[in-house]
Amino acid sequence: MIASSGLLVALIVLTIVLASVFLVRPSITAGVTGKILAFVGLCVLPALCIDAGMSTHMERSEQTKFCISCHAMDNYGKSLYVDDPKYIPAQHFQNHRVPADNACFACHADYTIYGPLKDKIRGVTRIYLQYVSKPPEHITIPGGYNNNQCLHCHNGARSFEENPVHIVIMDTLTSNQLSCISSGCHDTVHNPSEVDHLKMWSAGQ
Amino acid sequence: MKLGGLGLQRLLRIASVLIIVGLITEIISLCWVHPLAFVLFAFVSASLMGLGILVYLASIVFAVPPPPGDRG
Repeated sequence: MIASSGLLVALIVLTIVLASVFLVRPSITAGVTGKILAFVGLCVLPALCIDAGMSTHMERSEQTKFCISCHAMDNYGKSLYVDDPKYIPAQHFQNHRVPADNACFACHADYTIYGPLKDKIRGVTRIYLQYVSKPPEHITIPGGYNNNQCLHCHNGARSFEENPVHIVIMDTLTSNQLSCISSGCHDTVHNPSEVDHLKMWSAGQ
Repeated sequence: MKLGGLGLQRLLRIASVLIIVGLITEIISLCWVHPLAFVLFAFVSASLMGLGILVYLASIVFAVPPPPGDRG
């Protein structure tokens, strides 16, 4: 898997050069060497470019700036800077409990293109709503927020497992019967409609 | 089945054009960190290149070699 963008661009340029040769002089495929070159330039390298391009784009789409580049996500991005420890995303982002550059993906790792086919189709639908139609007023996660997104980090952590409240309800949390963000628990999440009226934190202040 | 009217060289040229255009759009998509860049890559670049590869493979399987005088 070619992850580096520089290598990928070099691969793309090489493929363009080879493909151009067959565009200008297709007759070179008459010989055995030409046939092999054609197979490499018109089949192997383009397939590699598709694979490497897809992995590069998937990697980029995990970045926080990718997620908040849609207007509908503006306030979700701002909510990471709310100066209030009750705000779960802000608390995680500001204290580097999740990587700042991949903050959204850290807690939404099963979302749209990262999920199964149904979620991928939903992701394309959201792009359609953003650019062709109109995004919904309130963005919700179909089926609710899955506790596994919290547990893949917190499960096994001493502070989580020894918490007396967690001990009592551990089974319902791990089986996703009771949401971590239920009312009365960690229920202050993004609250995009309130974000504009809240005090914000800025790094280094 | 043979694609008599087209010929190997013509199919190779079509495959090359599709692949080159796909690669150019891939470069454009890589210059941009945005959901639309992903859409451009997934729906335009990858499709054009995939089609180019298929045309090339079809040229191997189906195309009739051109008459000797038509080469170059």
